[in-house]
Amino acid sequence: MSKPRIAVFDFACCEGCQLQIVNLEEEILDLLAGADVVEWREAMSEQSDEYDIAIIEGSITRPEDEARIKEIRSRAKVLIALGACATIGGINKLKNNFDLDEVKTCVYGADAGKPHLATAMTKAVDEVVTVDFKVEGCPIDRKEFTYIVRCLLLGKTPEIPVYPVCVECKANGNPCLWDQGEVCLGPIIKAGCGARCPSNSHRCFGCRGYVDNPNVNAAKDVIEKYNLDIDTLKLKMSLFGSQQEPTVS
Amino acid sequence: MTVKKLAKNDFDSFIDAIIQSKKVYGPQVKGEKYDFAQLNAAQDLCMDYDVSLLPPTKYFLPVRETLMTFEVGGGYTSQQDEEPFVLVGVHPYDLVAINQMDILFSQDNYDSHYMTRRKHATIVACDVVTPSANVFASSMGTAVVKEGADVLVTDIGDGYLLEAMTDKGAILLASATRATEADASDMQKRQAVRDVNQKSLNKHELKCDSAYLPKLLSQAYDHSVWEEMAETCFACGSCNVVCPTCYCFDVKDDVNWDMASGKRERCVDGCLLDGFTKVAGDHEFRKVQAHRFRHRLFRKAKYVPAKIGGQIACVGCGRCVSACLPNIANPVTIYNKLLDDLGMS
Amino acid sequence: MCDCCTESKKDIYLPQMATVTDTRLMNETEMYLKLTMDDGPFDFQPGHFVELSIAGIGEAPFTIASSPTQKGGFEVVVRRIGNVSNAIHALKAGSKIGVRGPLGDGLYPVQEAKGKNVLFVCGGIGLVPQRAFINYVLDNRSEYGEVAILMGTKNYDQRFFQEELAGWANRDDITFVETLDTGDPRWEGRVGVVTTLIEGVKDLLGNAVVPVCGPPIMYKFVLMTLEEYHVPHDRIYLNLERKMKCGVGKCGHCQINDLYCCMDGPVLKYSDLAAVPEAI
Repeated sequence: MSKPRIAVFDFACCEGCQLQIVNLEEEILDLLAGADVVEWREAMSEQSDEYDIAIIEGSITRPEDEARIKEIRSRAKVLIALGACATIGGINKLKNNFDLDEVKTCVYGADAGKPHLATAMTKAVDEVVTVDFKVEGCPIDRKEFTYIVRCLLLGKTPEIPVYPVCVECKANGNPCLWDQGEVCLGPIIKAGCGARCPSNSHRCFGCRGYVDNPNVNAAKDVIEKYNLDIDTLKLKMSLFGSQQEPTVS
Repeated sequence: MTVKKLAKNDFDSFIDAIIQSKKVYGPQVKGEKYDFAQLNAAQDLCMDYDVSLLPPTKYFLPVRETLMTFEVGGGYTSQQDEEPFVLVGVHPYDLVAINQMDILFSQDNYDSHYMTRRKHATIVACDVVTPSANVFASSMGTAVVKEGADVLVTDIGDGYLLEAMTDKGAILLASATRATEADASDMQKRQAVRDVNQKSLNKHELKCDSAYLPKLLSQAYDHSVWEEMAETCFACGSCNVVCPTCYCFDVKDDVNWDMASGKRERCVDGCLLDGFTKVAGDHEFRKVQAHRFRHRLFRKAKYVPAKIGGQIACVGCGRCVSACLPNIANPVTIYNKLLDDLGMS
Repeated sequence: MCDCCTESKKDIYLPQMATVTDTRLMNETEMYLKLTMDDGPFDFQPGHFVELSIAGIGEAPFTIASSPTQKGGFEVVVRRIGNVSNAIHALKAGSKIGVRGPLGDGLYPVQEAKGKNVLFVCGGIGLVPQRAFINYVLDNRSEYGEVAILMGTKNYDQRFFQEELAGWANRDDITFVETLDTGDPRWEGRVGVVTTLIEGVKDLLGNAVVPVCGPPIMYKFVLMTLEEYHVPHDRIYLNLERKMKCGVGKCGHCQINDLYCCMDGPVLKYSDLAAVPEAI
């Protein structure tokens, strides 16, 4: 069997998730032993239209991005969304909370009207094309990324947790950040990161997206218990959860 | 066996000497709380801790462990952890939990992974000095123990009393060369500590004898309390993960980069979590959160007790109470509500 | 703690190696495999299941599809539905596979049913576990009373074991009736759910043992119909599916109230389920 050809593409993002792959250090050699990387702007100069697996970083934010991602999708057998921008729209979706013209004027000032600065509502990759696998997180977790790649090479669907971050956080023996006055999103955000942030005393920002059935009633109770207001929670949820958060009333 | 007495600084020397020859785990400060971790020096050991974040059962059933390694297309090789260790500072309620797990992992199908670790452990239990915020061990009859550890330690103020309860414990205590024999007054002090704990480790008071719980639950299957409490359940599994008698697990494979070898691991799982009962093809047998919530409480006070000679599989450590953000996990609240509604019969 | 247990050397989670001796794709999703253990005996009874292991992929439970009366290994049928079953579908004769088992203490009543009529109610892939008991009965035909097999399949393309089913239909010492949930131009037989077939064999229900196996939704309706014919609950045997992850009563996934599907089942007597509301 010939090695699968991998191409890495970026859309609207900070390219930090690709950087996590570059930072795999010696493991990147293992990765390259299992696959041929044919295009990867951040790490090499070659380009190719022939690939089996497309790894997409970034969210879809301009009309021309949609055409480009559809073209990539049509060439790839497997498409992987890499990182929060690609999987859930990420921080880029904050834009969707505002009027687009207002956003453009704020960023580009007098140049806002120029045609090459056209912009659209931010979309996660799976809002435009079918995504086969997601590597969640901002940035991605390197261990999880390599696990997913190995699963793909084996022809196996990766087993990614569907339960909340609290499971991994508690399993790490962490004291709860809520008891220290933090509005941690752990109870409603998908695990798989190994509770990276709360294990380092930072609240969960929600970069992996919501669990399938986040309990909003429970969130309201907890807000009351800790004497917070609902807007505080909404604000914390908007960073990675804009336009996808469960309705909090 | 005779009860020995050690001055507090001599106790530290005793522990430091053990650390020289074996791995020793004990409660230490973690943030504003305590947790069990490997001890580098006796001065880090907090014998007066209130409760640990995770129960010490994690040393027998780790949150993640390798069950076996394998060669793709070849055979499987069992991995057993045979390194001896000493577990110091186990509270009575946690000791009861460990002893319950011993039964569950040895009877019917003998789990060599758990049992190998267990056999290589020496457990030094200790009477509680500082009750935790949510402990209710007195209600569950687990505030004081008389067996199940290798050594039992009690802080009597001017020193520790140490009682070896097994041969393994006696061997360990033999190295406490500065120990003297406890006198009658020391023994009275120890009894006083236990008499107090018997009643005072009770921040939540169960309104019935815990032995009545299986009977209570047998009338409560369709009670509205499950729906009411689960209404605000995050399904976050915190209650499962911190519980000393929750032992459900998942098993997963991972391969090495050579794609030719790998390992099969087991990791913590919980009956409150989404997908716990889901089979291939996506049918999920216990889908309603209230039913999962009920299942956990039924396991603690009805299903598991039937497997371990009637012992209630809730030891009153109160960890779930502390860990539950929406504050719905307190078993005593639930049992008392059922008692109020259903009465004793 | 006892240090002398010889048991401690055995790892209940460790698969033993077996060799695939035959495979056959039976329809789009179902694959038949015959397996032989590489070392040691493998004594099983109808109702036993095994955990099949593909290294690197994982482990999943499958009920043995063949009767111990048929020598030379054992058979399973694997529906392509998840990681493990996908990988099993890639196996060929000569491939190696990990096996744990036979597992399960709740088995088919091969002894208790002797001298009685037996009515098998099978829905779809539920035929697979039932087949172990069916073939056991057929291989010891004189020891049982009247035998009827009712088989319901969702649609024509999901039918499997067609040759074997045709063989059963041709026997004059058993009754075999098949139905499809939805009709098909290629199908001349009955159309309707499997419960509609029970009326036709009601005469043998008098002293019949009734093993039932099918998709989760089927049990309720079959039991309602059997209730109409006053079949005593202690003669109804349900082969239940649950997430039997460890298969040895530890991991908790397959629990049905206080029962462990893997230990108390997978075959459970309906009369034992009166206080087990999660079962049906």
